[in-house]
Amino acid sequence: MATASVLSTRVLLVCAAIGVGTGILGGAAGWLTLAVLAGAPWAYGLVLGSHVLPGIIAQQVIRRPWVALVTHVLAALVASAMAPQWTFRFLGTAILIGGIQEGVAALTRYRSWAPARFFISAVIVGVVIAVPVWFAGDIASLAPISRVAAVTISILGPLAWTAVGLGIGSGLRGAGVARGLSTPR
Amino acid sequence: MTSVVAARPRERRGLAALNPLAKIAGPAPAMIALVFVRDLSTPLVFLGLAYAALLLGARLTRRGLGILFGVIPVAIVVVAAGFALWVDPARVGGTTELLRVGGVSLTAGAVEVGLATGLRLASIMALAFLGGLTTEGTDLVRSLVQQLRVPYRIGYAALAAIRFVPRFGHELAVIRQAHRVRGARGGVWAAPGYVVPLLAGAIRHAERVALAMDARAFGAHPDRTERHLVPWRRRDTAFVAVFWAVSVAVFVVVRPF
Amino acid sequence: MTTRPHPAAAPAAADAHALLSLRDVAITHLDALVATPSAVSFDVGPGEVVLVLGPSGSGKSTLALAMNGLIPHSVPATVEGAVRVAGQDAATTTTAQLATTVGMVFQDPDSQLVTGTLLDEVAFGPENLRLPVDVVLARAEAAMRRMGLWERRHDSPDVLSGGGRQRLAIACALAVGSPVLVLDEPTANLDPRGVDDVYAALRDVVAEGDRSLILVEHNLDAAIGLVERVIVLDGDGCLVADGPVDQVLRARATDLHALGVWLPTATLAALRLRDAGYPFGRLPLTPAELREALEDMPARGVASAPRPRGHDRGDVLVRVEGLRLSRGRTPILHGVDLEVAAGEFVAVVGANGAGKTTLVQAIAGVLRPPRGAVRIDGLDVRRTGTRTLSRHVGFVFQNPEHQFIATTVFDEIAHGLRAQRLGDAEVRRRTDELLARFGLADKADIHPFLLSGGQKRRLSVGTALVGGARLLVLDEPTFGQDRARADELLTLLDDLRENGTTIVVVTHDMQVVAEHADRLVVVDGGRLAADGPVAEVFSDDALIARAGLRTPPLREAFAGLRRHPELTSVARLRDLPGGAR
Ligand SMILES: Nc1ncnc2c1ncn2[C@@H]1O[C@H](COP(=O)(O)OP(=O)(O)OP(=O)(O)O)[C@@H](O)[C@H]1O
Ligand SMILES: Nc1ncnc2c1ncn2[C@@H]1O[C@H](COP(=O)(O)OP(=O)(O)OP(=O)(O)O)[C@@H](O)[C@H]1O
Ligand SMILES: [Mg+2]
Ligand SMILES: [Mg+2]
Repeated sequence: MATASVLSTRVLLVCAAIGVGTGILGGAAGWLTLAVLAGAPWAYGLVLGSHVLPGIIAQQVIRRPWVALVTHVLAALVASAMAPQWTFRFLGTAILIGGIQEGVAALTRYRSWAPARFFISAVIVGVVIAVPVWFAGDIASLAPISRVAAVTISILGPLAWTAVGLGIGSGLRGAGVARGLSTPR
Repeated sequence: MTSVVAARPRERRGLAALNPLAKIAGPAPAMIALVFVRDLSTPLVFLGLAYAALLLGARLTRRGLGILFGVIPVAIVVVAAGFALWVDPARVGGTTELLRVGGVSLTAGAVEVGLATGLRLASIMALAFLGGLTTEGTDLVRSLVQQLRVPYRIGYAALAAIRFVPRFGHELAVIRQAHRVRGARGGVWAAPGYVVPLLAGAIRHAERVALAMDARAFGAHPDRTERHLVPWRRRDTAFVAVFWAVSVAVFVVVRPF
Repeated sequence: MTTRPHPAAAPAAADAHALLSLRDVAITHLDALVATPSAVSFDVGPGEVVLVLGPSGSGKSTLALAMNGLIPHSVPATVEGAVRVAGQDAATTTTAQLATTVGMVFQDPDSQLVTGTLLDEVAFGPENLRLPVDVVLARAEAAMRRMGLWERRHDSPDVLSGGGRQRLAIACALAVGSPVLVLDEPTANLDPRGVDDVYAALRDVVAEGDRSLILVEHNLDAAIGLVERVIVLDGDGCLVADGPVDQVLRARATDLHALGVWLPTATLAALRLRDAGYPFGRLPLTPAELREALEDMPARGVASAPRPRGHDRGDVLVRVEGLRLSRGRTPILHGVDLEVAAGEFVAVVGANGAGKTTLVQAIAGVLRPPRGAVRIDGLDVRRTGTRTLSRHVGFVFQNPEHQFIATTVFDEIAHGLRAQRLGDAEVRRRTDELLARFGLADKADIHPFLLSGGQKRRLSVGTALVGGARLLVLDEPTFGQDRARADELLTLLDDLRENGTTIVVVTHDMQVVAEHADRLVVVDGGRLAADGPVAEVFSDDALIARAGLRTPPLREAFAGLRRHPELTSVARLRDLPGGAR
């Protein structure tokens, strides 16, 4: 099995732990969605942006192939258990964002883990997210200023959350967590 | 003895007896299409369909009933009202004015756009609840492994993740107490301080669980014996087919686009 | 002791029939400077029951993980020498394959659970081996019946007691069918009842005679009845003894003690008594043997046992009056009255769920007691803010990591001082002083999470005391820790107490109670079942049984000795005649 050699049980379960932490946040964000759409639909990108966290933290802690995607899917399952109405959305964003993060990491052959690399994937995610936000939030019907705000925030949201995720990931590294996982055998 | 054990603890009926994937695949096309819909009738029809299916085909818990008759109606009203305020006045300029407070006016057109958004969200949520309220997380994971061929190692990571959830809650409560005793700041501002200890503890625990799993021959073979089967039956195919047919019919009859 | 294998000597050929065979094994963890264990060779045959002893850090756990390939396959480390499992080389065979020969039981029962019901849990191993469903079920049933869990097969593991969950872990290992079971401190996380539970189960396994057991255990008092052979590692991780219990534990007890290996309490007591002139022929290993040996000895007639040091009781520091407390809607404490005098060392004991944690948390203000129910230094805990309270009482949680809020050891201590708005220079001076006192001065700049377990514990005690608290409350501080760390902590507590700190400890470890506390408070069903000097409380056998406690081994050996009345009141090792051993 190809994946078995890449993803040891230890790596998988560390992904699960990160997935649970971020998935709980995702579930909470799911319930928050309603309030945000009612109160400030143009800020929806900030909520959706939090979905970058699983992959960022996972890649920052375990610098290996596949961890971003796997952690995203696990986080989506946990979030779905909390906010079942968004199962479809959670799984969709997980595969989309996880795929983008894996893709960017794969382009550097999993060798560059500089913060810039994470922010590049954040910008791509932001652009891609702006589209569903536009339709789901019916942004087209809003006042022009709100439309501009919506698109800007859709792109800034993932950037901000990427910075948060990097902070958490570095905090975990500093605390000596999962040592030996990022040196490929 | 063996047969007693092999039997599932309880028999399931209606929606609960369907494969979790069927409950995702059936409503999926309608949910995607609804994202692009702007009228009132289409979401209303799907909302009605979803409620009918849930009320007739599932034994709802108190939580489920609370969602159907509390959360969703409230969400419709709140989203409609909130959204109406943000609508571009130029777009709904020609419609009658319902209310005027100071310089801001609320027009019938704006309310209509708001209501459409509220109903659209509500109908998407209700369709998702067809699976969401009648499926157990563990069954969803198993069907991902058994039908979609997700590697079972990832499936078991997901099952472990589901077990980590209550542990997280407990750990969080203890960490909050412990920080409070130290005279650390409380409230929302303290939350970032909990993240690293919480995740670090969870990751350490996960590493120990991984050792215990490896020690019990986890991953020995490309597949493993599965005692809990979540099969795809003929009724699952039928459910998906019927749901798709009805969805198409609704769109053809209502013609929202 | 110099049985260190001679480097020039050719390694003995591996025993072909051994289930497990280690030759010159040395294991170096990733980032570690030296190998622990560093030179270990032994074989284990079918049906043997082997105890592995060694001081903390000698590499026992590391060795256990190497026995089924978890090291190096799952934990990064380099292994030198040869580990052969049923003839296969562990370095090149997968853990999954080795698991069919060697099963594992770890220390923490919680972290061995994967699924949602007992039956699924036990079936997990055989399922991984791709056995047919009926074989899986047959094996699961057999294993669960042996561990007495079959009736509860549809329950969730969460509702089992700690001992029950550890029996479940043993059942899981049995179901895989491996002829060797390796258990690494399987009872370190359990209360006395749980320990009995697990050892009763292990005795059943041994009685059947079809499995070999390799047991790493600090709690020798419980393990001693079970084992036949003992292997000892020294502090550097070299094998220094390997032989039957009599030849190792009895004949070389003095050497082992010097190495820092834990011995059964009865043996420790006998060593001291022998130094004081009591003529022991064979050293005893259990309280019963100690008692028997003493009764066979001529009476000495001199009452030489020093009276336990009396501590002056100061004025009342903590006053609890009619404390009632609920968690959620369930009332937990039903009117508790308690006074603690300044300078006392009070142990709070009782069965699981009796309300010990609730009581001490209310005392320290972690939970909010009703008005006027708890006063410290005359302050009503309910009406005092956490900042002020932290200057009067420090609370130490079970897991020190939960309490850390800063990113360096220095800031961790300084946090409490800065909260008091002290100047920078003063903060630095007092922090450095405290770090030096707790032996952490050279760790000031590292992340608290990177400390060793014992250091983390010392730091958490430091953070609780830095505000100037005279009262320190600790909830199960030795839970899940090995003996050496537990001992280190208790020595620290004794020192603090000498300097005037009042100490309240919740614990399940009866020998800790006997050795360190002056006063024992027994909680049973949310009420105080007893409150008095330790010796007095332990002499009430009916109470001990009712409250789920356990008589400390020394008391068990000495109570009512006919020939040696001078020993009957001794409950602490340090009160025995015979030097500072
Ligand atoms: N994962 C690890 N990474 C790096 N070093 C480790 C790791 N685990 C243990 N060590 C180190 O290896 C040495 C042996 O540790 P081990 O846990 O095997 O000792 P032990 O004999 O089981 O001790 P104890 O009685 O305290 O359980 C110690 O110095 C320890 O610090
Ligand atoms: N956070 C909580 N919410 C509700 N009930 C609780 C909570 N914590 C403990 N309990 C219940 O309160 C009772 C007393 O618990 P407490 O933790 O004080 O017992 P304990 O004597 O410390 O037990 P142990 O030896 O297991 O630590 C138990 O029945 C427990 O189930
Ligand atoms: Mg150990
Ligand atoms: Mg407790």
